[in-house]
Amino acid sequence: MNDRHDVIVIGAGANGLAAAATLGRAGLAVIVLEQSGAVGGLQRTVEFAPGFHATPTAADDGWLPPAMARDLGLGVPVRTIPDIPLTVALAPGDVLPLARESRAAAEAIRRHSARDAATWPAFTAQLHKLAGFLAVLYQRPAPDIATTGLRDLASLLRVALGLRALGRADMAEFLRIVPMSVRELLDDRFECEALKAAVAAGAVRDLRQGPRSGGTGFVLLHYLVGAAPGSVRDRGYCRDGPETCVAALDALARRNGVTIRTDTAVSRILVRDDAVTGVALASGAEVSAPRVLSTADPAATFLGLVDPVWLDPELLHAVRNIKFRGAAAVVLYALDSLPQRGGLPAASLAGVVTLTPQLDALERAADAAKYGNVSEHPHVEISAPSIRWPAVAPPGKHVVVARVQYAPHCLKDGNGWDGARREALADRVSHLIDTAVPGFLDRVLHRAMFTPADFEARYGVTEGALTHGELTLDQVLFMRPIPGLAHYATPLTGLYLGGAGTHPGPGVMGGGGWLAARRLLQDGTGP
Amino acid sequence: MTARRYDVIVVGGGHNGLVAAAYLARAGRRVLVLERRSMVGGAAVTEEIFPGFKFSVFSYVVSLLRPEIIRELDLPRHGLQILPLESTVTPLDNGDYLASWADPDETRRELCRHSPRDAEAMAVFGRLMQHMAMAVKPILGMVPPDPGSLAPSDLAGLLRFGRHMRGLGPDRFHALFKLMTMSSADYLDEWFECGPLKATKSASGIIGTFLGPRSPGTAYVLLHHYMGEIDGAFRAWGFQKGGTGAISDAIAGAARALGAEIRTDAAVERVLVRSGRVTGVALVSGEEVAAPVVISGLDPRLTFTQLVDPDELPADLVEGVRRFKFRGSSAKVNLALAGLPEFTCLPGPGPHLRGAFSISPSVEYLERAYDDAKYGDFSRQPYMDIVIPSMIDPGMAPPGRHVMSIFVQYAPYARTGGWTDAARDALGDAAVQTLARYAPNLPSLVLHRQVLTPLDIERITGLSEGNIFQGELALHQLFFLRPVPAWAKYRTPIEGYWQCGAGTHPGGGIMGASGRLAAYELLGSSAR
Repeated sequence: MNDRHDVIVIGAGANGLAAAATLGRAGLAVIVLEQSGAVGGLQRTVEFAPGFHATPTAADDGWLPPAMARDLGLGVPVRTIPDIPLTVALAPGDVLPLARESRAAAEAIRRHSARDAATWPAFTAQLHKLAGFLAVLYQRPAPDIATTGLRDLASLLRVALGLRALGRADMAEFLRIVPMSVRELLDDRFECEALKAAVAAGAVRDLRQGPRSGGTGFVLLHYLVGAAPGSVRDRGYCRDGPETCVAALDALARRNGVTIRTDTAVSRILVRDDAVTGVALASGAEVSAPRVLSTADPAATFLGLVDPVWLDPELLHAVRNIKFRGAAAVVLYALDSLPQRGGLPAASLAGVVTLTPQLDALERAADAAKYGNVSEHPHVEISAPSIRWPAVAPPGKHVVVARVQYAPHCLKDGNGWDGARREALADRVSHLIDTAVPGFLDRVLHRAMFTPADFEARYGVTEGALTHGELTLDQVLFMRPIPGLAHYATPLTGLYLGGAGTHPGPGVMGGGGWLAARRLLQDGTGP
Repeated sequence: MTARRYDVIVVGGGHNGLVAAAYLARAGRRVLVLERRSMVGGAAVTEEIFPGFKFSVFSYVVSLLRPEIIRELDLPRHGLQILPLESTVTPLDNGDYLASWADPDETRRELCRHSPRDAEAMAVFGRLMQHMAMAVKPILGMVPPDPGSLAPSDLAGLLRFGRHMRGLGPDRFHALFKLMTMSSADYLDEWFECGPLKATKSASGIIGTFLGPRSPGTAYVLLHHYMGEIDGAFRAWGFQKGGTGAISDAIAGAARALGAEIRTDAAVERVLVRSGRVTGVALVSGEEVAAPVVISGLDPRLTFTQLVDPDELPADLVEGVRRFKFRGSSAKVNLALAGLPEFTCLPGPGPHLRGAFSISPSVEYLERAYDDAKYGDFSRQPYMDIVIPSMIDPGMAPPGRHVMSIFVQYAPYARTGGWTDAARDALGDAAVQTLARYAPNLPSLVLHRQVLTPLDIERITGLSEGNIFQGELALHQLFFLRPVPAWAKYRTPIEGYWQCGAGTHPGGGIMGASGRLAAYELLGSSAR
């Protein structure tokens, strides 16, 4: 541990690996310190029952920014897009499949509303186009009108021109949709409740808010960056397995000479005279380096790893005010087989199946979280990764992953997430799935429940927020993680932030790490 | 056709229409204002609803009226006289109260009683809000540039807007951005710990919206209500002598003095258009009045889908207007009282009766009131803002008697089951009973009661869905998006047809800014 390093990267998730690969390629001596036993961060799969593997965070495969892949010479993993990315379970035996192919989707929607069927293709095309503009913003540091120097005004102008290039109508629609509530957005266009609830659920993902909240229009677009045309959920999956993206980043980092140490938890970032000097490990050892790039979330970094004497009270105040608000839980199921009755085609479970066919039900589930309670009737989405990747389960057996909202980290009654509460929620989720997919419960061999409290303990994410900070408009782009700190450097010389808590945020594989590393290189690595 | 020729006809004698008329008359235009009702003012009217009892029937307080309008139209000479509302008292469920008084020191001591830390923070917060209000004011006075246009005037406007934002400096720009996007409760959580304080302040963020205090976007409405001109006060609102109708009368007086003609009981049926050009208006009576320019002070729905044939308009504009959110959410209960209410938390007469009462004991209380409305009913325990105008202006009620104005939220326009007489009564009962929890003698004092649901507000004033701002003040309906993209500069696609209501930038409250900006834009266009 006494080797000299130019940069220490904290965390070996996608962002940490992307940062390390970028820095290693520039010829720096980089060491990545990862507290857990393997790389992958929130994308990592675990064996939750003998022979059954899944990702406890239920993370999708995210979006790998093409500009980053090009820059790093990273081969882009082959993606498979499910034919039916999203299905609404209406009643036992009755589903509304929203196929990626818009004519097929329209055909299914027509059974509920001819008007909606006619609107659907143009709607998905528009979402795809607007998310495409976000993709442009997500491959460069966030533009900030207030802090941009005159030199960088040209880049700001390019962004503005990119926006105008959408055309007059779509530009206006982009500006309108971003602050809107997804409910209003959908009410303007559709009448079919199930359709609206399905789309809206994607816009409240990992949010402690319901579909009536302003800014959910933005969240909808955020998670559609990189999605296939016609799809209103997720970015498809890597053909070769659930960890393909992080494995590729890991291999690249190692090729670029990066040292990666797992089972190495950082307990403190060492600072002298407003400059970092290295880190102290939980083991008591110290690793020194003039640069530290943390991919832990901003609160974990500033409040957990840095001695507050080195930080400005205003910065600490701003970091304490970041809204984390983990509100999602995940239940993993090991299944003997997939239920045959229930009318839920296996093709649907290859994508996402939402069990909430009403907007008000989604809203009521969110109401509970607002008051610090767990939803009585949570919103549940299920998916069977074992259909995509048979290797995650023993032959013939299956894994079903259920995402559950709302399960707020901060509970009003103060009892926290004790065992009884966890089991009660898991039971409720099992029951909801069994109602939608009769015969489900009979096939469950094992289940594993992860609450926000578990995420916090397992991954070190503040308040169990898988987002590293809620995607509300005051916490994205140049406001992420806090105003004035959006460009990855911090007031401490040599300390950089590059996790999902920085622009472009969660679901973008390596984006924050890559941009942070570039900023570090731009600042120069001299003594 | 009447013999007299006009240069401009203003449809609707609400305060924005009157302001536009006054400015146009001041520039030498021959202006005719046509008002459907028998009095001018729109939602800013005073009426003697019960013999001897005068009410500011709808809008009841003022703070946003632009000072340049007061100055330029010399409104005090025409009767404008704002009496300050000096205090706000929030009664609490434990029998205590939280108050703010005219005297800042007294307010500070009072807040200290609840939270010394908040009293400390309030000074800093107040300064920030002042800075924010100053940062926004130039934007309120700006004709929104169209970001989709390549016209030199729009590019110059965008540049000016960008320069203004940059000129704020990073700290203020970011603070403003937070205010524009956050919920009022989240925003206040960053500053304060005292629940009733946060609730009372966040209440001004929900007024007139179909949003709860935890809904993003409400912090802006909070700022909007902070932009009163009486700087430094916890809440800078005033009360017009003679009721808000007297403000309308003052503006109408100024317009008349400048040569405008105002006709009441003159409902416009439609705007006459020939070959894409305005030629005048047709009244419900059948009469037609010719003019080359018509300005609508009505809301966007009426302006674009009722006064003219939507077929005359581009489809995207009509679609934009269809999507424009009204969703009236507030009701009004006006009471004629036999005497003064006795508040348990502050017994007996006192200066508090000259101020406002806010029924906002906690953010959760407000949020639950919102939940009722979300699912289609009025709040059983609503947020209420209450004043007793007769305490400030005794002329509003017979001697010894009083009028009470209760602003009630939430009361959704689209109530499940509709607004039947029974529902209206139930809403009135809920308001009185909620207040009676803090002033138990209130029910016994009520001589007469007027309950105005959003549907009633729509029927009487014409405001679509009873929205008091002519359309919600939500981020996606502001500035160059108000009312619809590309048509936010007071023009319409029909030549000679203009809009000047609160449904245009900057909109909302008795501000008059829309009317003034529209008039200037119109005058500027004809000069070119």
